[in-house]
Amino acid sequence: MLREITLGQYYPAESVLHSLDPRVKLFSTLVFIITLFSANNIILFAFVVITLFGIIKLSHVPFSFMVKGLRSIIVLLLIAGIFNLFLTPGRTLFSIGALSISDVGLKNAALMTSRMVLLIIGTSIMTLTTTPNQLTDGLEKSLGFMKRFKVPVHEISMMMSIALRFIPILIEETDKIMKAQMARGADFETGGLIKKAKNMVPLLVPLFVSAFRRANDLSFAMEARCYNGGDGRTKMRPLKYSSLDQRAYICIVAYIIVFYVAKGLL
Amino acid sequence: MSIIRAKELVHEYIRRDEEGNVEGIQVALDHVNLNVEPGQFISILGHNGSGKSTFAKHINALLTPSEGTLFVDGMNTSDDEFTFAVRQTAGMVFQNPDNQIISSVVDEDVAFGPENIGVPTEEIIKRVEKSLKMVGMYKYKSHSPNKLSGGQKQRVAIAGVMAMEPKCIILDEPTAMLDPDGRKDVLQAVHTLNKEKGITVILITHYMEEVVDSDYVFVMEKGKVFMEGKPREIFKDVDLLKAHSLDVPQVTLLAHELRKAGLPLPECVLTRKELVEALKEIKNSLPAKPQASGNYSSEDKPSKAKKDNVLILDHVSYKYSPDTAYEVKALDDVSLAIKEGEFIGIIGHTGSGKSTLVQQLNGLIKATDGSIYYRGQDIYDKDYDIKELRTQVGMVFQYPEHQLFETTVFKDVQFGPKNQGLDEKEQIKRAYEALGLVGLPEEFYLASPFELSGGQKRRAAIAGVIAMKPAVLILDEPTAGLDPKGRDDILGLISDMHNKRGDTVILVSHSMEDVANYVDRIIVMDGGKPVFDGTPKQVFAHYKELEAMGLAAPQVTYVMNDLKQEGFAVEVDATTVEEAKNDILKALC
Repeated sequence: MLREITLGQYYPAESVLHSLDPRVKLFSTLVFIITLFSANNIILFAFVVITLFGIIKLSHVPFSFMVKGLRSIIVLLLIAGIFNLFLTPGRTLFSIGALSISDVGLKNAALMTSRMVLLIIGTSIMTLTTTPNQLTDGLEKSLGFMKRFKVPVHEISMMMSIALRFIPILIEETDKIMKAQMARGADFETGGLIKKAKNMVPLLVPLFVSAFRRANDLSFAMEARCYNGGDGRTKMRPLKYSSLDQRAYICIVAYIIVFYVAKGLL
Repeated sequence: MSIIRAKELVHEYIRRDEEGNVEGIQVALDHVNLNVEPGQFISILGHNGSGKSTFAKHINALLTPSEGTLFVDGMNTSDDEFTFAVRQTAGMVFQNPDNQIISSVVDEDVAFGPENIGVPTEEIIKRVEKSLKMVGMYKYKSHSPNKLSGGQKQRVAIAGVMAMEPKCIILDEPTAMLDPDGRKDVLQAVHTLNKEKGITVILITHYMEEVVDSDYVFVMEKGKVFMEGKPREIFKDVDLLKAHSLDVPQVTLLAHELRKAGLPLPECVLTRKELVEALKEIKNSLPAKPQASGNYSSEDKPSKAKKDNVLILDHVSYKYSPDTAYEVKALDDVSLAIKEGEFIGIIGHTGSGKSTLVQQLNGLIKATDGSIYYRGQDIYDKDYDIKELRTQVGMVFQYPEHQLFETTVFKDVQFGPKNQGLDEKEQIKRAYEALGLVGLPEEFYLASPFELSGGQKRRAAIAGVIAMKPAVLILDEPTAGLDPKGRDDILGLISDMHNKRGDTVILVSHSMEDVANYVDRIIVMDGGKPVFDGTPKQVFAHYKELEAMGLAAPQVTYVMNDLKQEGFAVEVDATTVEEAKNDILKALC
């Protein structure tokens, strides 16, 4: 059941997007998010959506795979949509009992949910086409300037990559402990919220114990291999821009110019 | 010059209470003196808690001496200045393959060490390729470690150490968590490094068979080196080793027993070939003896009175992630009947479907095809009480101590009975009974389960399942990760319980030698199917096919087959040292 989470997983394939430098992808995702939220009319919005679909096509990741990832946040989408729909004041279009839907509410709800869907699809393209390691490398390098402000950029990215390595292991472990406790008659499915939470104790305690044990082992293993923080480290695959990345940057800049010129005109 | 030289090395673990006052001191290493010459293959043997792992961490400067000194390649490990140089000179591989791989891609993990010491990029790429090729893992360089087997992960870990170009490599029980195939591959890789690259190897283990090929052996107990010498000298003293509950390879044990029975065998026999040769000489020196009519039938126990089937599997299949690209057929049309009161061993290598099979039996996973009957009732029936089934078919998972969670051992054992809905009094009674059965001393009942030792934790966890009084008890690799003494204790315990209570017991294992001594019936799984099913004797008769599956029959089975080929009038179906001894004596005298 836990294995079905596809949101943010890497999808191995060969495409232009897969071979781009992670920094390019991080930057373009940021640009995408900003333009998505500053698109205030239907034409600009359509422009963003069309660009996004072009990129999806380029990524060689099946569209159905991305949509599957949305399933896990469907509840969140519904809540956001319903709140906007019913709780926005404005000219009442029609009402059911005490609840009424206004014109602004309808517009907001539509805009809100579609923005969220697009936001998730847009960012998941980045994670789908970038291995976790590239991603953390990219983050470390892009945020490197923050070291000057005493932000432990290297340590944070190391923690992220270790977390990514251990998530599947801990998921498997959760599955195992769950089965072991079920074999002892534990019940994780029935009961109210409080009872359910209480029933999680036999699962969570062993899981934490195991995570701490692994962390302890891992710290020994890292020390044994001379790990000593980020200073003086070299890289087997240092990030280097290629001509493909340059072209990608030109495309992004062109996209920004077109978007804001259009926004000024409309 | 010695590469490793320990002089009066002492290490104390100091336990402090919350205010920082010393609560207790545990001496882990007690004046150890030890020398290792460059290029040697050294083994260090000992129980869990004998101090061998503590010693290993010293060689890598992960720990520093409380007293005495340790030199690695002439560098004093107590000197902070040398810490990184020491770690580069003496690389370390740990027991748990998962907890020492840092990166999510194999080659990036191997690069981790060189990256840390600032090796230039082009050089790293070269070293990673070379190291991965050394251990035969180059073709997996872009894989995720999560998709590899335990043995493969351990070889990646070895490559990770080799990429730092050390002079010496320390392996701390590298095979304890592996199956026989994985063990073989890892050991082979280590021996190659030693022979071809001249790397000094220090192998810490509790498997005696792994020690036989080393140049020199140290045996540790209670923080001290209590025996040292060439393997042949160590294994000479079988009785002393046994008195310290250390294991001896089966062949050596058999030779020792035969010697005691009066055969003029050499003092220490380490390999199968040596034993067969020696026995041949003895036979030739004896006056020819009329061949006994060679066909006395193997004396299988007459099958006990016919018993009812307790569990029936009818054409059961199981697929992981069905209808996707990742579909794996874990069970393939399995039909089996398990009788009341049987003691069954299910054997297979990792991925053979044995664990999937047993998890079907209490409905933890539901077959994609076929049906399962418990005492005649279909467990997939809509109104069948699956929770009740789980109390009837108890399941002890691999590393069961990982499921302990309560504040005291006693409460943890009560967890099962409580879920069964029994009243408090009955819960307590059950917990007492179960803890008594597993032989856990009473002083631990109210201790936190996390304070117990490894073997005790496992007992407590097993008690947690027994307390539910299951009619069928399934144990998945109950001896994994234990030292020989812990292993014998647990197996003895299970066997005792079976004899006393007459339960049906199913033991899942990949170790033939473990199983052969205890069970009445063996089911061998391969590729999701039972391939052999019968008494140990019947199954081990297929020892060649078993070997092709990555399983090994007990060593004595091989000896007896070798002897038969050399013209000895022995039966080939001996599965234990005792049987083999009697058979050989019968053939000779």
